[in-house]
Amino acid sequence: MSDWIAIGAMGLVGVGLPLAMMAVSALLRPSVPEQGKSATYESGEVPTGTARVQFNIQYYMVALLFLVFDIETVLIFPWTVIYRSALEQGASLATVLTPMLVFIGVLVVGLVWAWRNGAVKWVKSPQASRRKTERKDA
Amino acid sequence: MTPLQTLPEWAATAPAIVLALTGLALLLIDTIDPDSTNNGLLAGTATLGALAAGGIAAWFLIGGTGMESTGGAISLYGDALVVDGMSLFFTLIFTSVTAMVTVASYDYLADEEYQGEFYSLVIFAATGMTLMGMSNSLATVFVSLELASLPSYALVAFLKKDRGSIEAGLKYFLIGALSSAVFAFGISLVFAVTGSLVLPEVAATLAEGTELVGVLGLGVLMIAGGFAFKTASVPFHFWAPEAYEGAPAPVSAFLSSASKAAGFAVAFRVFTVAFPLETVTAIGGGSVDWSLLFALLAVVTMTLGNFAAATQENVKRMLAYSSIGHAGYALIGLAAITVDGGAANGDVLGASMAHLLVYGFMNTGAFLFIAMVEKWGLGRTFEDYNGIASKAPIAATAMTVFMFSLAGLPPFGGFVSKYALFYSAIESGFWWLAAVGAVNSALSLFYYSRVVKAMWIEEPSKPLEIGSQPVGLYVAVIFAAVGTVLLLPGFQPVIETAQTVAAALF
Amino acid sequence: MVPPQYYLLLSAAVFCIGIFGLLTRRNALLFLMSVELMLNAANINLVAFSYYWGNVTGQTFTLFTLALAAAEVAVGLGIILVLYRNFDGVDVTNATTMRW
Repeated sequence: MSDWIAIGAMGLVGVGLPLAMMAVSALLRPSVPEQGKSATYESGEVPTGTARVQFNIQYYMVALLFLVFDIETVLIFPWTVIYRSALEQGASLATVLTPMLVFIGVLVVGLVWAWRNGAVKWVKSPQASRRKTERKDA
Repeated sequence: MTPLQTLPEWAATAPAIVLALTGLALLLIDTIDPDSTNNGLLAGTATLGALAAGGIAAWFLIGGTGMESTGGAISLYGDALVVDGMSLFFTLIFTSVTAMVTVASYDYLADEEYQGEFYSLVIFAATGMTLMGMSNSLATVFVSLELASLPSYALVAFLKKDRGSIEAGLKYFLIGALSSAVFAFGISLVFAVTGSLVLPEVAATLAEGTELVGVLGLGVLMIAGGFAFKTASVPFHFWAPEAYEGAPAPVSAFLSSASKAAGFAVAFRVFTVAFPLETVTAIGGGSVDWSLLFALLAVVTMTLGNFAAATQENVKRMLAYSSIGHAGYALIGLAAITVDGGAANGDVLGASMAHLLVYGFMNTGAFLFIAMVEKWGLGRTFEDYNGIASKAPIAATAMTVFMFSLAGLPPFGGFVSKYALFYSAIESGFWWLAAVGAVNSALSLFYYSRVVKAMWIEEPSKPLEIGSQPVGLYVAVIFAAVGTVLLLPGFQPVIETAQTVAAALF
Repeated sequence: MVPPQYYLLLSAAVFCIGIFGLLTRRNALLFLMSVELMLNAANINLVAFSYYWGNVTGQTFTLFTLALAAAEVAVGLGIILVLYRNFDGVDVTNATTMRW
């Protein structure tokens, strides 16, 4: 018999067991819907408003910069892997190191530009500044 | 003596390096004082960089770098980049268009914010295009294509408060993202069949034969689809009318001239080097006849572009459809390639390249004239152009030159380039392609002369007020007009260079 | 090992799911997610056949396509942000000021 039958069986049991338990308990339990039971749980507080908050735009800027530098890190990895063997096989230090320095240099120029143009300055959202003044007055 | 005998080999990519350094320099200029923008300094640096890169490319081309006389193409970084005559020729096209666009943007952007971003995006896109001309590996093709496209998405959506610009940018981006995904999948299929991404190695592996012909055919089709998007050919042309209409006019000029030429540069190289016709039509299980595919696309693109342009009321949209039509003409260069063509293949490809050079000047000039009209605030329909000639005769003359040159009338550059293209297509045996092209050219005269008629003959419905004389726009438009006119007597060296460098591919 | 045809089938399936999502989505963000699916289908192909042919070219190119997908999403999110501010929503069928 094929070896995959064991994996198929495990998949079936893994999916089927929780589903079966939920189905059996749904069939056996009494159904008494009540307003207090279906309200959103907020650790005892009474929930007000919706869950949708308008996020501060600065999160997007930080996420974008993180993405760019994360990808830069990903692209540095192959270079580090072959660095030592390239040096041992006779390539001069300049030819191995310079391209990576140029690559990082280009990204540093971009970072300097983003920094000076205020991409990493934390700007408060209008909602936050409103709440701050409300608390001050109270 | 060629310049490259005294310089290190990586200096062959000097045009791309100069453009990249210019882009970084523009970013650094913008960091000096983030609260104010020095429009003149930015525009000047960008133009200088573009002209320097173009000058270096011209110097290399005249010195014979990368051509047969000096030892053949220069291939760098493990065959990822190749510098030969074709890449230098296309670099000339890109840098001349970039220089005209940056000079014109000095006036167009005078009241906008984010000027430093605009110029650096234009120069980075030009760097991507130059690298596209030099790429010799499917990996480099893909990366440089995206380097040229991503700044273009941002440039089209540049006017953040103008709904037309944002809608254009959105549509361009969505279709561009789709086509880059299709292109990547096509590359992965070709890699699956051949095990290599470098173009000559792909051809060598295919020459040994493979049984995965269906997968190869699908991969070639998807790669052709990616190129059809970049060059705005049917069936992936949908983004072009909106993108060119909604974008700021210098950006439309940049996209429709340089970006289209870049798409053709990379299409020419990939299809003639990686999938040579004699190899892919002789594979055991079947054949992948891409010249037939491109012939079909050329006919449909020419026809659709010209017929749609004839029905437009908006001048910018009319020019957008006409640029789709011109992409159809340039596709004849790929469509007319035959297995046993020999020298005729180089001729028709070279004629297509020369047409793209002339088209770069005419089309950029036309869109920059529209930029001038937008700056004057006159509106965008044909009726709004009535009577411009009485107030701005020099600019109107330049626009007349562009319109008649685009239609292919003598004595302008467009006439000789179209003539050379159709003649070499007939020489290759594709008389029906040339016939369709000629019919479409004749039809196009109708809608081009509508603009000329409106400017010179019609009377404006209300009195025309032309406020200012924007220097940068005037300089760019006149430069483009002079270039278009001079390309008629100066066409001989252009076509000879183009056909020589194209023949080196076969 | 797993024969390469299965990988071709898997990547084709993922690609088609991506195309379906792309053609039917009105939300611009879901459109972008479908594009990511299509790019990752290409990545599956590249990595699988990199093992089949025995060189690392495919895997290296996969790194590039990943970097590229990230850059594309960055630009795309910027455009979608501007779209949201001007057209009150991320519905791509909202922006229809320019027509045939």
